[in-house]
Amino acid sequence: MSDSHGDDVGNVGGLNSFEPKILGFLCSWCSYTGADLAGTNRLKVPSNLRAIRVPCSGRVAPELIMRAFDQGADGVLVLGCHLGECHYDNGNHRTAKRMPVLHSLLSFVGLEPERLRLDWVSASEGERFSKIVEEFAESIRLLGPCQWRPKALQWEAENRLINQKGEMSMPQVGR
Amino acid sequence: MSKTIDIQAKTRQLLNSGQVSCVIGYEIGPRGRTRPAFIYQPDDAERMVWNRSCTHNLVPYVSDKLQSIEKNTSTGETETTQQQVAVVVKPCDSRAINVLTAEKQFSRDQVYVIGVACEGIVDGAGFGREDNGNLQARCQRCSEREPVVYDILIGEPQEVEAVDDYSDLDRLTDLTPDARVEFWLSQFDRCIRCYACRQVCPMCNCPTCLYERDDSLWVGMGIRLNEKRTFHLGRAYHLAGRCVGCNECERVCPMKIPISLLNRMLEREVEAAFGHRAGAAAAPSPLVTILDSEDGISWTS
Repeated sequence: MSDSHGDDVGNVGGLNSFEPKILGFLCSWCSYTGADLAGTNRLKVPSNLRAIRVPCSGRVAPELIMRAFDQGADGVLVLGCHLGECHYDNGNHRTAKRMPVLHSLLSFVGLEPERLRLDWVSASEGERFSKIVEEFAESIRLLGPCQWRPKALQWEAENRLINQKGEMSMPQVGR
Repeated sequence: MSKTIDIQAKTRQLLNSGQVSCVIGYEIGPRGRTRPAFIYQPDDAERMVWNRSCTHNLVPYVSDKLQSIEKNTSTGETETTQQQVAVVVKPCDSRAINVLTAEKQFSRDQVYVIGVACEGIVDGAGFGREDNGNLQARCQRCSEREPVVYDILIGEPQEVEAVDDYSDLDRLTDLTPDARVEFWLSQFDRCIRCYACRQVCPMCNCPTCLYERDDSLWVGMGIRLNEKRTFHLGRAYHLAGRCVGCNECERVCPMKIPISLLNRMLEREVEAAFGHRAGAAAAPSPLVTILDSEDGISWTS
């Protein structure tokens, strides 16, 4: 487990420039197909995006997003079908309701809210797809590396929860 | 003491008539602390008490008792709609009854609800530390003095003026994101993953907890800080739109993690976004239902 950032991303802009790791959950019916269209149209899409194909944006459990940030993602992009166009009728309704709640939870505990974005891209919107990813990657690049994971590791190390052999010791009892 | 007498009388009557086979209430334990009681015999009804230390939310026991009663009775008879368990509830606990019936954990007919007009619970209740006699913070904020659902009401509900005060949340949201990360890391750092918060929660009723799986995909069972953080945030998220604010999780936490801050933040968010107050009616959380209409959706990140 490496806690440094951007180390295994192709350092596109040279050694010192930060290239964010972006995880994209793309709905298989709309956004993934839209991404395909962007490809066939030879539109430029930032290579920061690692696309994960999901059957529906409703499949994207908040746990998955928290997991992504926990594992060192700099941004998470969730793309689904426009409301009313869901292949499963109302899967994206659930996404539309969940994401704002998750958003406020994560920003309450200190994650920059800009790092999570939900948007809708249909299968015919290759251009929109490339525009959204470009915008998102740029906004994350400006934000800089996500401190979510490194901060936790740093806190642990500073509070000497882990000794030099890598063993955990129990934290002090509060009461 | 009249509430105690009323509860005892009702317990005796319910058990004598055979309407229920178990009454869940409060008793005074051998060390003088108020604790949950399970009364099966009419003669034991005199153990029941009501005082200002009845802090426990007894609703989580309902499903367990219903299941064990179902197991013990012969399968030949089908009396599934009969009231089988009676439970003493405070106004906050009664909302949990509504949430669980909406989620089909049990049906409303299976439970006889003895609602108590609550006057607030004192701080330190359950641990024998009621010395200062102050109300718990959640009770100071609470204006509900009458249960939202009950079959019989014990006591007269009194009107109280209380403001739902979010000043503690606002103090946190005023901090910079970095300071908030620090604050929560320092809180979650103490977690020993004893799962007391989960065990005591009426809403945490998954047979296998997502966060306690050997083959965990999403979060490990260890006590690494990031795993503990994911556990707490995940649990808070699972309670969004369902948490009734009984505050049991925070009360039982041996490490004094301010879990209720997360829950109240989400309670406020959900109320603002969906106009939903958990358990005010027997309606499921808005997060598991579809949108009412496709008009008026203006989600932008």
